[in-house]
Amino acid sequence: MTQALSEDDIYRTSTQYRLWSFSPDALASLRTKTREIAVERLRRSSEQQAARNDEPEVVEYLTEDEELRLTQRYCDQIRSTSDHLKWPVHVKATAVQYLKRFYLSNSCMTYPPKEIYKTVLYLASKTEAIHITVSDYARRISTDPEQVLAPEYKVMQALRFTLDVKQPFRGLKGVLMELLNLAEGLVGAVDGADSMNGDEVKASMLQVRRPPEGNRTQWTPPSSGTLDGKHLNDRIQAAYSAARTLLDAPALLTDVYFLYTPSQILLAAMHVADEPLTSFYLSTKLPISLSTRPQILATIHACADMLAAFDQGAVLTKDERTALEAKLDKCRDPGTKDLIKAFAAMRQDGMEDGKVEEGVAQKRKAAREKNERDGDDLFGPSLPKTNEGSR
Amino acid sequence: MATSPALDVPPEGPPFKRLKTGSNGVSTASSPAPSHMADLAEQVDAQERQKYIKGRKLGSGQYADVYSAHLVSDPTQLVAIKKIKVGAEAKEFGISYDSLREIKFLQELDHPNIIKLYAVFSTKSQNLNLVLEQLPQGDLLKLIQDTSNITYTPADIKSWMLMLMRATHFCHANYVLHRDIKPNNLLIASDGSIKLADFGLARSFADPFQKMTYNTVTIWYRPPELFFQAQYYGGKVDVWSCGCVFAELVARDVMFRAWPENEINMVKMICDKIGTPTEDNWPGVSKMKGYVTPTEVVPLRPKEHWMAQFRAVGETGVDLLMKMLLLDPRKRLSAEEVLKHPFWTAEPRPSRLEDLPRKGGGMEVMGEDLKRRGGEIPNGGGAGGRGDKVARKIDFGAMK
Repeated sequence: MTQALSEDDIYRTSTQYRLWSFSPDALASLRTKTREIAVERLRRSSEQQAARNDEPEVVEYLTEDEELRLTQRYCDQIRSTSDHLKWPVHVKATAVQYLKRFYLSNSCMTYPPKEIYKTVLYLASKTEAIHITVSDYARRISTDPEQVLAPEYKVMQALRFTLDVKQPFRGLKGVLMELLNLAEGLVGAVDGADSMNGDEVKASMLQVRRPPEGNRTQWTPPSSGTLDGKHLNDRIQAAYSAARTLLDAPALLTDVYFLYTPSQILLAAMHVADEPLTSFYLSTKLPISLSTRPQILATIHACADMLAAFDQGAVLTKDERTALEAKLDKCRDPGTKDLIKAFAAMRQDGMEDGKVEEGVAQKRKAAREKNERDGDDLFGPSLPKTNEGSR
Repeated sequence: MATSPALDVPPEGPPFKRLKTGSNGVSTASSPAPSHMADLAEQVDAQERQKYIKGRKLGSGQYADVYSAHLVSDPTQLVAIKKIKVGAEAKEFGISYDSLREIKFLQELDHPNIIKLYAVFSTKSQNLNLVLEQLPQGDLLKLIQDTSNITYTPADIKSWMLMLMRATHFCHANYVLHRDIKPNNLLIASDGSIKLADFGLARSFADPFQKMTYNTVTIWYRPPELFFQAQYYGGKVDVWSCGCVFAELVARDVMFRAWPENEINMVKMICDKIGTPTEDNWPGVSKMKGYVTPTEVVPLRPKEHWMAQFRAVGETGVDLLMKMLLLDPRKRLSAEEVLKHPFWTAEPRPSRLEDLPRKGGGMEVMGEDLKRRGGEIPNGGGAGGRGDKVARKIDFGAMK
């Protein structure tokens, strides 16, 4: 028996699919749950404090929306820091996803993003094969190396020890090359697609209608109205470059990685860049008769809407961020305040290798059992079954 | 895509399915619990940790300790837990590159001939614990070296090599370079199958024009282009290492073992055994940064020369071996091309798993295998032994 795994089969075994892909509802409820736990934790600790000082303080917590916007602001910060360090785009994209994944199970009130973003960027540099010591890194971004390393295990834990982030950049380059080939009259064999020879493809490609108003491409058709090969080439390059820009801020600062696959994201970016050209490209891939065609197109369009709706102006300004962080300072979890100290303490703990006094152990056991009761399935459902037989 | 049965990936009956997270954790008396109200990540981590009961220590090294362990829910399901130690370089790098690479790639690769990573969890001491498949039958090196007790046939070699090539092909199909293929990284499962382990030096394929280090792969298994300091390369580096393993299985001796063990002598040995890399057999080679060869040019060794040493695997086998060890990486076969070679379907058929010889050696061997870090050669630390010329020294200057 011979079986071949398709790219889709392989994608479905990835941790990105198994652990980090969600429906919009599941994503929203996960975030709500995370914030609830954080607020509950804060409430308990302020009750304890109140019992001691008997001056109950009214604390205003960050709203879910504020948390989201603060996280987004630090995703943007990672983008600019990574660009400042002149690191390749895959490091930046990985780091941004690490931060977004981190805040699915942690609240900004427990771990403010200001203290986490440098760590995820450093971790991403390591997993994406950039070699730099933590002291060099810290020096280049004017920070303290200990602050970079202190939350590293916490980050690993929140990432559920999965480090691979599948990205759309190489795939987009592949689309560029394929389009250039089609424009040259070179057609690769595509199973089941409408059969045209190279010249016919080239001819019909020249006829593709002009990009409508609102498409992001910079390309405009020649005034004469008739296209030649050179114009077509320019059109393809312009569409690629507009799509590539969309894969930076809009794709990194929205939830598209949680909701769509890399190929859906890159085709959506192409769609926003030059819709008629992208539809033509897809027509060479998806025959009209294909039963999944409407579903595939609808998914790409939904993702495209999300990318197109992104507004860089909506990202928090520096002043807004400062104001939000002032609010955060008041509702910040005191238990996680000094990460460096906590880091050192955990190390110390580890060296004693699990000796816990009996009273403490009892209390912890009770707390643990409570957590387990509360904690059932908080992190979403069991892993999706992925075609068990073909593993 | 699969045109050769050699590409076939048989469905595997795993010892147990990939563990589900999110199911009820069973608490054990010894497991530490978060003392505060746990966040979601801590809960998942704790649940994972509480699924296992650690048993005896199987091995202990500078880099990691390895324990036998079993599932709380089913004591017959054994695993190995590799507890990574915080090394000296933690101050400079935090969690080490080796650990991160191993975790990153093993989390993604699910194949019957690649060691399975069931889970990772951390302990309060901030140690990373890798829950791995238990592979109690030692490694391929032990079989090769035990010439007095173990005999094996060309059909056995074919079977092992087939499993190795499938694993390598699967890595490459997932855009992963292993970069440390050698007999002691090929562990043997209780059913006799081979499992590629130790992804501490692995990396993803680089984007075009992105430089990679040439200072990688244990020196005896390192291809000539890396000695010549190539910074752009692909899966063919692993194929060379696989070729070295193939030759070593047949000859029961390391194919390229230079003494004293340094790069110059390794190149000399490759020239001597295969032929000197020249512009004729490898266009462009003389322009490579590290290109140095002995002045006396050895012509490419003809097939008869190879037949004299590797006759056991037949003419087809020798043909394949020569193509896996071609000097010019552009001409060398890719892992997929290796699997499409007629060798696999020629007589004899590869041995069935249950007929493969095994040495046992037990879990201690696995402990030894897992506690090492990438690029190390076992029994090292002395002249004449399997020396300690590690591959993992990273050349920072050469990397971006």
